[in-house]
Amino acid sequence: MITTGSKLLVGSAVAAWVFAAVYGVAQEGALGTIGLVSVAVALSLLAGLNVFVRDSNVSAMEPASFETAPAAQATARSSLWPLLVGIGATSLTLGLATVPAFFVIGIIAIAAGALEWIIQGWSERASADRAFNSEVRDVMADPVELPVAGAIGFAVIAYAFSRVMLGMPSKSATVVVFSVVGAIILAVGVMVALRRGISKSTLTGAFSLGAVALIAGGTIAGLNGEREIEEHHDTGYIAERNECGTEETEADEKASQTVAGKSNAAAAIHFDGTELTADVPGYDGDFETLQLPRSNPNNILFYNESDHHARLVIELHPAEGTDGPERLCTALVDEGGVQLLTVEFDRPSFALAADGEGYAFTVPGSDAELEVVVP
Amino acid sequence: MNSLASLTEKVRTFTMSMSTSRLRTAVLAGAGTLVLASCAQDAPQDTWAPAGEYAQEIHDLQWPIFMIAGIVGVIVMVAVTIAVVRFRDRGQPIPEQSHGKAWLEYLFIALPALLLAGIAVPTVATVIALNDTDDADCIVNVTGQQWWWEYDYPIAADGSICGFMPSGEAAPIVTSGQMVIPTDAKVVIRGTSRDVIHSFWVPKLNGKRDMVPGRLHTWNFQADRPGIYAGQCAEFCGLSHANMRMEIVALDDADFQSWLDNQLEPYQSPEEGTLAAAGEASFITNCSRCHQVDGLADADGNPIVSQPELQVWSGAAPNLTNLMTRNTFAGATWDLLNDDCRDEVWEAEPDIFGERYLEGVTEECLNEIDLREWLRNAPEKKPMYADPENLEETDGLVRGMPYLALSEDQIDELVAYLLELK
Repeated sequence: MITTGSKLLVGSAVAAWVFAAVYGVAQEGALGTIGLVSVAVALSLLAGLNVFVRDSNVSAMEPASFETAPAAQATARSSLWPLLVGIGATSLTLGLATVPAFFVIGIIAIAAGALEWIIQGWSERASADRAFNSEVRDVMADPVELPVAGAIGFAVIAYAFSRVMLGMPSKSATVVVFSVVGAIILAVGVMVALRRGISKSTLTGAFSLGAVALIAGGTIAGLNGEREIEEHHDTGYIAERNECGTEETEADEKASQTVAGKSNAAAAIHFDGTELTADVPGYDGDFETLQLPRSNPNNILFYNESDHHARLVIELHPAEGTDGPERLCTALVDEGGVQLLTVEFDRPSFALAADGEGYAFTVPGSDAELEVVVP
Repeated sequence: MNSLASLTEKVRTFTMSMSTSRLRTAVLAGAGTLVLASCAQDAPQDTWAPAGEYAQEIHDLQWPIFMIAGIVGVIVMVAVTIAVVRFRDRGQPIPEQSHGKAWLEYLFIALPALLLAGIAVPTVATVIALNDTDDADCIVNVTGQQWWWEYDYPIAADGSICGFMPSGEAAPIVTSGQMVIPTDAKVVIRGTSRDVIHSFWVPKLNGKRDMVPGRLHTWNFQADRPGIYAGQCAEFCGLSHANMRMEIVALDDADFQSWLDNQLEPYQSPEEGTLAAAGEASFITNCSRCHQVDGLADADGNPIVSQPELQVWSGAAPNLTNLMTRNTFAGATWDLLNDDCRDEVWEAEPDIFGERYLEGVTEECLNEIDLREWLRNAPEKKPMYADPENLEETDGLVRGMPYLALSEDQIDELVAYLLELK
């Protein structure tokens, strides 16, 4: 009797030979014919081999092999991983036609599904003991699954939370909601800690409810979009638009711009309403003149200690042939505010002196001036 | 693989052929060489020979810690050796296995913890003391770039520089390679970098301080006696990191005043018709695009302002005003003094050191060989990526000094001119 597997392979081989012959005659294409003949040869070999080993079925003459033969093993359990691979393939195809994100998601889904499917398939053939096989699968998959699941969980929580926070109508509302949610989480935690008898199902229900609420809230907020957030321009943008006078310009009055910039600044310049003084690292007390190196960005912190808005301005007198800005300035800084300004000088002071010019920080609307010497 | 096996076999044969006494002699000779190497006298960057208050503070901390660590290390090594020798496998039965002694484990936790706590207190106190920049006598701005250091001396509100009032009009002093400071003064450097992270380290005067682009770092120096103190950039900063050196020159008050006044002397062009005058013209043509010489003017009397930012990736090149008052060039890598004259300065007693140093570089003392080689082909002498074929990463800007294709006549003229810069 021809076995089931052999029937399939023999049929396929015959079909391949027929298709090869038909294709070769009808299309006269050598390359296609070679391909089909190759397939037919391969299938014929496989069919012959399979007939010879009779699908690896146990011979009725060898009853001792009944227990260990593959045919005697439990059938593989159903798996959902192919479904994930299918979804991935769909997403990948969709991504080719629409947005790249779907393509990337598709690749990830196919890779993850295929990996899990392989591990499951392999583990289910590890032994005849299903419990052992399951354990083998966990040993293989847990080191990958758990961190990935954790990362995805954290990412979902963080993303959903951020959508909710950014979807609030104002920054104050965000603070209120964040405080309330934080307090609720704390209260639940305290309750769980105090009532040790609380059932597992209640806890699971509470956490599930929280998770569903968070994801639903994040989805709704994400679809609604973020609230309108004002764009804060840096000092270069303001200088480029020549908004270095006393005019009111929108800016983040407390702007630090970068944490790194705020630390180890070359100098801190203070404006008390009438004059500018410099607090320079390494020097005791204030200085009336600043000496700053040439051809190097110098980070300056401007402290507005006056009782009105003020900005710090400096004319840079760039050398001919260079494309540096004519002047730089901070935004209009609030009373008590501080802002960073990064300045770089092309030319030494003596080069400007010939034209009766020099470097100096000024504050529009006041006579305050702080001379800068560039050696 | 074959050659490795052959080498292994040769080593095995060689060691087998040596008698035990020969092997012992060879090991002792090797160890003795290592010990004697630590007795080097001419070690200008010796971290165990402090010459100032801050280096002394570090020394006072590291010496007892080194002693403690050494004693602990010896105890551990002896204990391990005894255990290895005494309890080595002689085929004896495995001893009875126990879970150890709790009191011994507590002791071995408590002892190191106490030791580390004891070390932490003076360490933190020293770190705080080293970073105290209050009451500075002298401020110097230090800027690192590949591969040299620039020093500029700010003018205080009262017109003084480093606490000394110039005899003439005060003006910013910019120099490189050697930082000149007054002896016994508390000098605070305000350091930064123009390109990558460098580290300022003069071991005999203080520890290391990184100089990070866009940030300003302060560090203290004080020298007990006049002399030259050598240093080295201590943060890998590119191809010629090893050639990025620095020297701090400490002068007593009178000599520092002389140095200061000399630095502020107005520039004087060489006499017309001399080789140096031709060198000045050659300098204006070939060098002044990057190198500033304060006071140098064109034919119309307009000051010549260098624009290194258009030529060099770091945006700077050494200011060569009064070059020959320094003893070094090219990132303090080579001496401007020949060996004999250099020794006279470096080995001078503190009371005559200033006088020797202030003599500067004379024609007789000039190290012409290195200076001419430098002018002939700087990138060949000091690797600097200055290959004109390889400037894509820097938008066509060179790192360090490029090859200028100067003729020997131009080099003669330039050497004559540079000798005038004092």
